[in-house]
Amino acid sequence: MSNDETPQNDIPESGRPRREEPLGKDEPMRKEEPAREPEPVGETAPVREPEPAEAAAAPLTGRQRLAAGLWPPRFSRAQLIVALLLFVLGLGLAIQVRSTSDSSALRGARQEDLVRILDELDDRTQRLEDEKSRLEDQRAELDNSSDQAEEARKQTREKERQLGILAGTVAAQGPGITLTIADGAGAVESDMLLDAIQELRAAGAEAIQVNDVRVVADSYFSGGDGSPIEVDGTKVSPPYVFKVIGKPEDLEPALNIPGGVVQTLEKEQATATVRRSDKIVVDALRPAERPDYARSSSQ
Amino acid sequence: MIAVLGLVVGVVVGLLVRPEVPAVVEPYLPIAVVAALDAVFGGLRAMLDGIFVDKVFVVSFLSNVVVAALIVFLGDKLGVGAQLSTGVVVVLGIRIFSNAAAIRRHVFRA
Repeated sequence: MSNDETPQNDIPESGRPRREEPLGKDEPMRKEEPAREPEPVGETAPVREPEPAEAAAAPLTGRQRLAAGLWPPRFSRAQLIVALLLFVLGLGLAIQVRSTSDSSALRGARQEDLVRILDELDDRTQRLEDEKSRLEDQRAELDNSSDQAEEARKQTREKERQLGILAGTVAAQGPGITLTIADGAGAVESDMLLDAIQELRAAGAEAIQVNDVRVVADSYFSGGDGSPIEVDGTKVSPPYVFKVIGKPEDLEPALNIPGGVVQTLEKEQATATVRRSDKIVVDALRPAERPDYARSSSQ
Repeated sequence: MIAVLGLVVGVVVGLLVRPEVPAVVEPYLPIAVVAALDAVFGGLRAMLDGIFVDKVFVVSFLSNVVVAALIVFLGDKLGVGAQLSTGVVVVLGIRIFSNAAAIRRHVFRA
């Protein structure tokens, strides 16, 4: 039969007698060979070879059986089932070994060591918890204080704006009146303007501007008696336009009362007109001046 | 050969994939592995003796695993899980040793 086969098969076939030599007289097994061979003609020799080897190995010693079972791989049902079971075994083995070696540090430890380690861990957890709560308190405190600082800054800004209106460093707007004094005869003196300012202040004026000059606490009037009137050293010329922010219902009567500013001016042949407005813009500014001597005593 | 390959592939897959073992099975895995090892050694010995039957091997493998897991389970329920596990491991270890001795006699003729 082997002679009919392809030349490639001859080489493996030639090895077979050597392997079968120990069997010696095992004639029935040899007879099986030809009977089986016709079937797997198309197959390669290595696959076919084990069959006779296995069949011949029956009376063999255990060592030879082992060798025969090991080397030429066969895809028999038994092999596959055993392989599947061994696969499961290997899987379980590997998983177990891995999960055991994961925590190998504590595995061999004695019980009292484990208790000590546990105590230490508890202590450490306690310490860390304490530290955590302390840091959280600190953080809350800082959050709080930064909130307070922000609030203080906001209030300071608000105050700065309010004081800026009084000091004339920021523009202001609001309801108020416009007082226009037309001085055709040149009879208006600075003290009359000062009277008007005083009257307006007494009536609650909050921001005053004469022509282009902001009137503040230390404003002064000079001139008159022929020379041009100056406010804070800035010449102002008629008509004098007072822009005043305040309550119009208070400001207007204050100017118009009998013997008041308006009547006095009209006696001097000057005309004074008062006009209420819902929106007066006082936009003349003064530079903020640092006092030379006075210092805040609140610090 | 295929069987040995199966074992190798199982170990490699177990090491590489790191499958998560369900918590229910976890306590029984080591004892089941030992029981399966016993079955494998028995199967190897039977093969060397020339009396290996795959059906017997399959049944003994599965029954070993199941019985071992059952004993541990029962031990856990009775509160003597650790002692029973030790007992099972001792018995299986003795069997493995005797099987290994038979295998040794076959392989090394000594």
